[in-house]
Amino acid sequence: MNVSMIDPLDTVPQAVRLQGLHKGFGGQPALNGLDLAVPQGAVYVLVGPNGAGKTTSLKILLDLVRPDEGRAEVFGVPVAGEGPWVRAQIGFVADSHAFGMPQVSVGVLLDHHRRYFEAWDEGYEQLLTERLEIDRKAVFGKLSKGQARRVQLLMALAHRPALLLMDEPTDGLDPLARDDFSQLLADHLAESPTTVLLSTHLVHEVEGLGDHLGVIRRGKLIAQLPREELNRRLHRLRAVTPEGWTPPQAWASATIHRRTSGREVDWILAGDPQEISAATTHSGATVLSLSPLNLEEASKALLRMEVSS
Amino acid sequence: MLISVNPSDPRSLYLQIMDEVRRALVLGTLQKDEPLPSVRHLAAELRINPNTVQQAYRELEREGLVYVQRGRGTFAAALSDDEEGRWRLAQDLAERTLREAYRQGLTLEELVAALRQTAESRVRGPSEENR
Repeated sequence: MNVSMIDPLDTVPQAVRLQGLHKGFGGQPALNGLDLAVPQGAVYVLVGPNGAGKTTSLKILLDLVRPDEGRAEVFGVPVAGEGPWVRAQIGFVADSHAFGMPQVSVGVLLDHHRRYFEAWDEGYEQLLTERLEIDRKAVFGKLSKGQARRVQLLMALAHRPALLLMDEPTDGLDPLARDDFSQLLADHLAESPTTVLLSTHLVHEVEGLGDHLGVIRRGKLIAQLPREELNRRLHRLRAVTPEGWTPPQAWASATIHRRTSGREVDWILAGDPQEISAATTHSGATVLSLSPLNLEEASKALLRMEVSS
Repeated sequence: MLISVNPSDPRSLYLQIMDEVRRALVLGTLQKDEPLPSVRHLAAELRINPNTVQQAYRELEREGLVYVQRGRGTFAAALSDDEEGRWRLAQDLAERTLREAYRQGLTLEELVAALRQTAESRVRGPSEENR
């Protein structure tokens, strides 16, 4: 790959910074030198196959898991040993809702949770309770996944945290609940300035909100770019090729994904659009269209990208 | 004025918003000194990042299409030149149509001929067309 897909994002104030994280579980490496940077105010969408290390990274940021090696910072403060302070800055939606005290009522759980947050906003809690139709009398452990997720969202948002960490927040929810979730997140972001780090397989749900994309694979960062850079560096080329056509030499290292049918090619290429266009024409092919990708298409292309390491 | 955008359209969302405001100005659904939706309101309604709306409004201000009154919001400026606004809209549409035509393997001449014929048959009315 000639064009780097990793922007260190180190010229702006960062909400989250991971450097060279290693973590193994029972001899299996979960993180393998992971770097990651989330600028303050960003809505950073993190994608990766299951087991790529997304959940482990988020837990390290909360100081719930300690890395074997490397450094994790939240707003410039190393998290190791600063668990209580760090967790007070963060709203966290875990991928699992089986936590803590399944036998207590939602009301008791919330009253307990609230005490950890000085910045807890009771008016906002009230509003969210009504909007999410949360029943304070219900027993938490007996809620459906969708209902439990609503309670988790309230717990994550009601203190208007400076940093929101969300681990596949819509996983397992029905379509309407997923729709409600994106609206709730959009409303929250419009009202409260927040940095968001959100891991998901459903990128289209945050298509309008996400302004940074990060891709991790096998415990390593393989791509990280602000959206406008993605638009500049990644393009889908559709072209008609002549008989016996060979692709331009320069593309060998720039091709991320290729689909060919007869004389039509549909390729995703990394590089400068003008150069791509010129090389295509020079090779005898006719450019039908050359356009940037949306966030979901870009995430899929980058997940498929071959990385030489 | 109703602003709608398509997040899956690879065209930048802020550009889409700018086009929507330009369109409203040309159509007259947004008139001089009328307020635009607040950044917060529009971001929540369209489910997009507030920074994106901010960027669109900033660019529109730079182009002189809107003005900001601190603490009160963003308002439509007088369209400096209605002709210019219409011309820009036409150019945008031409750009998109041409791109699609090339994608379908059509030439400019074929597209223009088809446009002429379609427009003429509309003037004649559908009854004559079907005769």
